[in-house]
Amino acid sequence: MVEIVVLVKQVPDTNAKIEIKDGRADLSMIKWITSPYDEYALEVALQHKEAVGGSVTALTLGPARCDKTLKDAKALGVDKIARVDVSEGYIDSFSVQSMLAEACRSMGAEVVYCGKAAADTNAGSTGPGVAQKLGWASIANVTKIVFGDNSLELMQPAPEGQAKVGVDLPALITCDKGMGEPRRANVKGIMMAKRAVVDLIDVGSFEGNTSVLEHTSPPQKPPGKSYEGSEHVPEVVKLLRDEANVI
Amino acid sequence: MSEIIILADVNNNELKESTAEVVTAALSLGNNPIVVVPGTSPEAAANIAANYEGVGSVIALQSDCFATYDSAAWAEAIASVSPPGHLLTSSTSRGKELAARLAASRSATVVQDVIEIDGNTISHPIYSGKAHEKLALSGPSVMTIRSNVFKPAGSGGSATITNVNSSSDLRTTLKEMVAKASEKLDVSEADIIISGGRGMGTPENFEKLYNVANILGAAVGASRAAVDTWEEIPHSMQVGQTGKTVNPSLYIAVGISGAIQHLAGMRTSKYIVAINKDGTAPIFRHADYGIIATWEEALPLLEQELGSLLG
Amino acid sequence: MVDFVLSEEQLMLQDLAREFAQDEIKPNAEKWDANGEFPKEAIMKAVELGLITIKIPEEYGGGGMGTFEESLICEEFAWGDPGFATAAGSTLLASYPIITGGTEEQKMKYLSKASEGQLASYCVTEPSAGSDVQGIQTTAVLDGDHYVINGEKMWITGAGYANWFFVLAYTNKSAGYKGMSGFIVDADSPGITFGKKENNMGQRCSDTRSVIFNDVRVPVENLIGGIENNGWINAMKAFDLSRPIISSHAVGNARGAMEESLKYASERSTFGKPLIKHQAISFMIAEMATKIDAARLLTWRAAKKVDSGERNTLEASHAKRFAADMAMEVTTDAVQVFGGYGYSEEYPVARRMRGAKVVQIFEGTSQIQNMIISRELLNSFK
Repeated sequence: MVEIVVLVKQVPDTNAKIEIKDGRADLSMIKWITSPYDEYALEVALQHKEAVGGSVTALTLGPARCDKTLKDAKALGVDKIARVDVSEGYIDSFSVQSMLAEACRSMGAEVVYCGKAAADTNAGSTGPGVAQKLGWASIANVTKIVFGDNSLELMQPAPEGQAKVGVDLPALITCDKGMGEPRRANVKGIMMAKRAVVDLIDVGSFEGNTSVLEHTSPPQKPPGKSYEGSEHVPEVVKLLRDEANVI
Repeated sequence: MSEIIILADVNNNELKESTAEVVTAALSLGNNPIVVVPGTSPEAAANIAANYEGVGSVIALQSDCFATYDSAAWAEAIASVSPPGHLLTSSTSRGKELAARLAASRSATVVQDVIEIDGNTISHPIYSGKAHEKLALSGPSVMTIRSNVFKPAGSGGSATITNVNSSSDLRTTLKEMVAKASEKLDVSEADIIISGGRGMGTPENFEKLYNVANILGAAVGASRAAVDTWEEIPHSMQVGQTGKTVNPSLYIAVGISGAIQHLAGMRTSKYIVAINKDGTAPIFRHADYGIIATWEEALPLLEQELGSLLG
Repeated sequence: MVDFVLSEEQLMLQDLAREFAQDEIKPNAEKWDANGEFPKEAIMKAVELGLITIKIPEEYGGGGMGTFEESLICEEFAWGDPGFATAAGSTLLASYPIITGGTEEQKMKYLSKASEGQLASYCVTEPSAGSDVQGIQTTAVLDGDHYVINGEKMWITGAGYANWFFVLAYTNKSAGYKGMSGFIVDADSPGITFGKKENNMGQRCSDTRSVIFNDVRVPVENLIGGIENNGWINAMKAFDLSRPIISSHAVGNARGAMEESLKYASERSTFGKPLIKHQAISFMIAEMATKIDAARLLTWRAAKKVDSGERNTLEASHAKRFAADMAMEVTTDAVQVFGGYGYSEEYPVARRMRGAKVVQIFEGTSQIQNMIISRELLNSFK
């Protein structure tokens, strides 16, 4: 019986246009979704429970709007849903790591899963940071897991290829795709979610050392460039690297 | 007195060039940064680091734990030799993970993918690059520096090197290293796609696209015209209205005219490169970089250039 | 006043159905339509998610929700593909008479089976009796502990894949509509044969065909509710439930056509600017959106009213008439927005236009709805 915690984050729809208003990203009209990689983490956590037994808690940090993400997780089949209640606005990574680590500790977590990065920041800081605060091992960008009784065997990308890595619990795993498509909710799950109550967790507050000055729109892409003749291929390759930053 | 620390990007005792860019970023925060070079035998890499212009000193951090990657052990060893202050490293997946751990152990904030530093103000992209966030630092931080943004530091420095031995327990065990399989990526999964159209002449010529794709780690796609014309090109490769809708960072269209059905499937790609011999093809209106040339001329050059850059 | 704000679980249900439509229906719709292939596999996936039997009470394995929730799902299904939505809806349609008037044993047996994935079809229409239900010829004659059914049903959705049928037949022809009874007939009963699949204009995956009953013996316990001559009232009650669903079908199909038009109009350029920048096109799409919204409000009102236990006959007819005609207009306009491409099956709007037509015809034609509306108005006037 493993105590499994999944960290889930609510983020703006990844297809949404982001408008800047008065120096801040205007999120007032945004549709909120569960961060896509966290959906893989949820799937892995549920597979872990199915493999060896245990209990899965979906944990988030955010204001009340994030309850939707927890209810969605409940509809997928997690046992409990919990939220560290904070007000809307920027929260420094130090505070996020500290609060989530405290919450995991208070729940008696033995393994924590989360997505490899949240879709809004694409930072990937929370998982390893929480592991450090808990004094645990962490394995990032995992694509495949075999669940043992008190250990895991995982596949993780390495510069040389794929590393097969073993770890004893407790451990924190950040998940990439690879463990199969995340399951869908079903109508029974939705009825369960309707009746589920979000457990609000208070872990005190922490003071970080960054603050947001402003949000800006990224510089416009330069207008398209056209070249006559294949001799310009090297120039385009250079631009793809230095200007577009895509290779 | 707080220091500026650089964690060098090292794999198997080999120093990665991105470290030179991090040196430049660090110098905009303060003088004489300390470079920590981890490795099982870090001497050679430390020598290179000591040569970067502006570096104050180098710590060659020797530990057996650096033989295999283990974020907890690595972070512990690195933390043990890093004095207080800002800590910077490259924005690779390992760099980001170590940065997050080091920040947690130093009770500092971590900021990933930094693209601009101006005094105590730093910027990084958020919302998949749809906005930039400018942050004010009010204390020590850990940051990762996005590659290809800062100019690499020149050589000619001669910093002193201190050798330090350290040991920390591995928390994970490496059981096996599996080589990268040259699997065929699916277009809906890939971050880079190179697609061919009927202009490729024969289905066999798609091999030329695969050659480029293998270098880039890209998937190969096709236009509807190509899929309809040649049985060898399966529908699963088709990008467009009746095929797959894709949204990669880079889309390279070769011998594709750019019919509206094709554009419907790929126009939201972040960057589009078009190679076509017909300069009036509609695809050029949507391309960030258009090359008017036959694929026979352009593809070998593209393969060669990318090969020398990335291979 | 009706509240049109969706609850958290209604939003989740809508999301679930929309994702299902996006992932399972849209990628296959062209193929199903071209081959006239019944979407059995996708329907079974929807059964597993609980989407097909949303309205069957929880004690029989269903979702236990109302007509309103069912209409939310149907809109998303039809947004995926109108043919799929019709094919997927036939089981619940055939279950309505059991839900509203069946015996406990009938509910336990047939509703539970439906929840587990058995499919069913609703057999009322006949070659000479469509909207004029009283014109049916099928008879059921008591013979010991069985009824013997004879007759031919036509345009039966999903007939070739059904495990059981709801069949409306005369038990006392001389009593007119007061002599009709409803039966549950197992599809494997001896004496049942099927006609060939109809070569329909649209919704070609819904497997409509005729079902011929030749001395088919049905046990008396399969008489709906165990009461003879109650069939008409049961069938009419079923219409009060089904018309809001058909209306949401029209809303979903039209919404799909509108969204596809909007996307195409912003991608395609003519005379040096995107289509959408031409007022002739942008106004067309604006009008589509208003009509869809109006139809949805009528639909939701009809659904919420019947869920609250009130008679909704007038509201359901308003919704059905307006929504069905609206979808025909909107999908036709969508083909116009697409121009030559719209006339080709390469884009989905042609399929939507063909699929919209029958919605003005089945479950009571638009003219029948106007008859009902005018009759209801006259009744309230006097």
